[in-house]
Amino acid sequence: MKRDWGAREDVALEAVAAKEELAVTEAPSARDLTPAQWVKENLFSTPFNSVLSVVAGLLAGWLLYAVLRWAFGTADWTVVKTNFRLYMIGRFPIEEAWRIWMGLYYVVLLVGLTWGQAGRRLTWDAMHIVRRSVLAILGVLLLLYLVDSPLVWSLMGGLVAAYLAGVGVGRIGRGRTMRRIVWAGWLLAFPFVIVVLQIADGVGPLRWNGFLLNVLAGVVGIVLSFPIGIVLALGRRSSLPAVRTVCVALIEVVRGAPLFAWLLFGVFLLPFLLPPGVQLPQIIRVMIMFTVFSSAYVAEIVRGGLQGVHFGQYEAARAVGLSTTRMMALVILPQALRNTIPAMISHFISLFKDTSLLAVIGFIDMLRAARIASASVKFIGSSRQTLLFAALIFWIVAFSMSRWSQRLERRLGVGER
Amino acid sequence: MATEPIEQSTTATDEMIVAEGVKKWFGSFKALDGITTTIKRGEVVVVLGPSGSGKSTFIRCINRLERHDEGRIVVDGIEMTDDLRNIERIRSEIGMVFQSFNLFPHLRVIDNVTLAPRNVRRWPKAKSEEKAVQLLERVGIPEQAEKYPAQLSGGQQQRVAIARALAMEPDIMLFDEPTSALDPEMIKEVLDAMKELARSGMTMIVITHEIGFAKEVADRVLFFDSGLLVEENTPDAFFSDPQHDRTKLFLSQILA
Amino acid sequence: MTEQAIPARPPLWRNVRVLRVFGQIVFVLAVVYVLRELFLNMQFGFRRQGITLDFDFLQQRAGFDLSEGIAYGPNSSFWRAIRVGVINTIRVAVSGIVLASILGLLIGVGRLSTNWLVRNVARVYVEIFRNTPVLIQIIFWYVAVILPLRLVGEDGEERLFFLSNRGLAVPWLRGRPGAGSWVPWLLAGLVAAVAVWWWRTRVNERTGRPHHRAPLALLALAAVAAAGYLAAGGPFDIELPAIDRGAYAGGVKVSGEFAGVLFGLVFYTAAFIAEIIRGSILAVDKGQKEAAMAMGLTRFQQLRLVVLPQALRIAIPPINSQYLNLTKNSSLAAAIAFPDLVQVSQTVINQAGRPFQIIIIVMGTYLILSMIISVLMNVANRAVALRGTRR
Repeated sequence: MKRDWGAREDVALEAVAAKEELAVTEAPSARDLTPAQWVKENLFSTPFNSVLSVVAGLLAGWLLYAVLRWAFGTADWTVVKTNFRLYMIGRFPIEEAWRIWMGLYYVVLLVGLTWGQAGRRLTWDAMHIVRRSVLAILGVLLLLYLVDSPLVWSLMGGLVAAYLAGVGVGRIGRGRTMRRIVWAGWLLAFPFVIVVLQIADGVGPLRWNGFLLNVLAGVVGIVLSFPIGIVLALGRRSSLPAVRTVCVALIEVVRGAPLFAWLLFGVFLLPFLLPPGVQLPQIIRVMIMFTVFSSAYVAEIVRGGLQGVHFGQYEAARAVGLSTTRMMALVILPQALRNTIPAMISHFISLFKDTSLLAVIGFIDMLRAARIASASVKFIGSSRQTLLFAALIFWIVAFSMSRWSQRLERRLGVGER
Repeated sequence: MATEPIEQSTTATDEMIVAEGVKKWFGSFKALDGITTTIKRGEVVVVLGPSGSGKSTFIRCINRLERHDEGRIVVDGIEMTDDLRNIERIRSEIGMVFQSFNLFPHLRVIDNVTLAPRNVRRWPKAKSEEKAVQLLERVGIPEQAEKYPAQLSGGQQQRVAIARALAMEPDIMLFDEPTSALDPEMIKEVLDAMKELARSGMTMIVITHEIGFAKEVADRVLFFDSGLLVEENTPDAFFSDPQHDRTKLFLSQILA
Repeated sequence: MTEQAIPARPPLWRNVRVLRVFGQIVFVLAVVYVLRELFLNMQFGFRRQGITLDFDFLQQRAGFDLSEGIAYGPNSSFWRAIRVGVINTIRVAVSGIVLASILGLLIGVGRLSTNWLVRNVARVYVEIFRNTPVLIQIIFWYVAVILPLRLVGEDGEERLFFLSNRGLAVPWLRGRPGAGSWVPWLLAGLVAAVAVWWWRTRVNERTGRPHHRAPLALLALAAVAAAGYLAAGGPFDIELPAIDRGAYAGGVKVSGEFAGVLFGLVFYTAAFIAEIIRGSILAVDKGQKEAAMAMGLTRFQQLRLVVLPQALRIAIPPINSQYLNLTKNSSLAAAIAFPDLVQVSQTVINQAGRPFQIIIIVMGTYLILSMIISVLMNVANRAVALRGTRR
């Protein structure tokens, strides 16, 4: 039986999607139309189209009206405002929150440095700037509603300053050393955050809650599953039948069952699999399961990328005398991984969305925080607001990641080189 | 023999490549059916034959891109066996140029050329780059060093591939139809680079359909058909007076 | 380089073939060792807690109730409970796949519409639903949409559909006594359709006139079936759901939990399927469309004869993985207490304390379901695959 699930096709499709995005943006701008012509051409070109426009317009208009009326009229959002901290960090003790801020500052500074160091000239057209500004204003308005504390406001102002400082420093100190510092900074980022959270009577993993937990679990899953997935993919493509068989079996079994079942595996069965006397906290076991699950998918994506590398590349690498390890590390993987960027990012997006499953196995992640918020007597019947707010935050992260992936793809010219 | 004596110290053997009864199957298909020939140091050998005749398989067996099933292949006194060390040694003595160039698209031209010296020979960066620039000059494209392969024309890419193969300072160069994927106007620049190489005393095995190149440079022509070495001779004798019917047929087809 | 002794056989530790075999043996031994260690650890841990590794407990009385599914009571066995879970999972998966395909197809085509409004409505839909966790969507449908909906209306009131915290009810066909007499008519209609199809194909081949075989064959089928329907005296009618003493009567009804899971899965997966459909149609090489245009085919013919067959070929594998995803995501039903396989299993683990066996059953079931879907999709794939090309 041919089991060709997923990965490879995803890769091909994503590559296609990128190319065609350009075609779509090209088409309408080809000619200058007056508004009336535009409307006629795009909405009422044929009788069928006119009917469609009217029906779709009525439906969309009604939905939009109903949603807006509810969101800005009927709905009372105080439950979200009151529980904003619960959403973000859950039961993380407030007097220890400086640890989180420290991690945030570290990451934001690094992002600034990276951006400044890459030193890409901004080629934004007017449309771009307008869109950005609208988004920024919306974000600020949302925060204005949600955040009262002057302390938090000044800290957030500090974040912006740190970012700008990072960009400035990165731009001035471009060069080898700087690049190394930035790389080292990223490598150390995760350990740094974990240490800062725990060091000197810090906060244990049990109280890493809310959005913080989603982010941490997502990052752990992504960072750890990436190398494991590559190894599994190489194993699956190995010329040694035994290695291949084991890797295929592992990948297919893991992908065969839902993540939820694997998390239950981590909760109920994993403790028994460990050597007697070894005990891992539940959160660690769950993160192990996230990693295992994600690795199998990463392996399939990498396999797709490997299939895209022409066999001539293997032969040329062998012919110049490279050993198998060097051939993979220097010639094959760099090409394979570049081809997988879109599929990899969309996998990471879905892994991040899947961290919401933490809520069903007893952790206080952001979704759970939403459920807790609407469970209090004061805010009974507010589940719509609380759930929508959690969904909104997930959406913002996932949507911006997918947008970023599209831009990255265009810049790297996937499939062109 | 056409070539000058070479500057390398003469060794006990002048036989660079010895093949004895080399056989190779792909499943039930017999690709090589007992090839026996000897190639001397500094010799330039052109291999002709219809597609599927086994000529490509033969030279790929010489540097172990394919494993031969029977017979012996000895390269510069080292027999090609399953011995890991022999395989590595033989490969680093042989450079190969492919029909489809097979440059590493993610690396700049200069990095393509220095990759193997730096990682296999362990040369320092400066030395390998110096050597690379030298080689790029030799094949006539020093100005392209900073570009990526996709930014070059086919002829330029193939010349980079030659430079890349030479960077390991091989004793033998294998060419697997190096000009077949090129536009006509680029064939000459690649052939010129190969001629220059032949004149410098490099041992070369070249699969090609360029009869002019064979007549001008080759010391010997081998003709393959159905996995057999049907005929071998000097270019003059081969083209003017082919012995076998299959050779005659082939020549009449490509010369027509 | 000097001549050197040629070893007839290389030493074992440098022999590539020996190394390959040896490496694999070591690898397999390591894997077996790790698995054995894990298993021994588990056995030890379970024995200490007095848990056995057999499957006998499945026959024991479960002692808990399930809200929905095939006949089941508190006195049924664990095994029965798991079967209820499996069947509920299949019910959700199958209905989800069907509905998500339809919705996804509509939205995917909408994404490519020349109509600006339709195109952008479809796009907004995709961006919203695809970038939000499906779990939140499921919980939202159930907790925030379905649960607050009270069943209002008078007894006997019929509607096209009902959605409330009592569940979802939709119209369904109701057979009258003697409905079986319609079946022969239906078969006759099928035969007629095949005959028409064959006849039109022949006409087309001989004369070159357009065959229109699909519409004509359908027409034949419809005509015979309609004639039979009348002859059998109206064997079926459509039954609308109605309210009967605060509950539903008539039509087909599912629980609120089922509806919540279904909505969540369908709206989420449809967004992905839409993107696949759109991507596949756009992925068909532009040269193909140009060639078709150059041959003078109409826009519709280009689409039907050249673009769609190729797009389908591209679309089937990723759609297959979406179907698998939907099936696996149906496990999230547990979050709103819909008794699917995972939810039931969780309860069984808590009651019977045999996590190993249960998890084996769960994984095995999903593997089998995945395989069934993949096999079906492979059949479909083979039907549309380009002959003579290797994938």
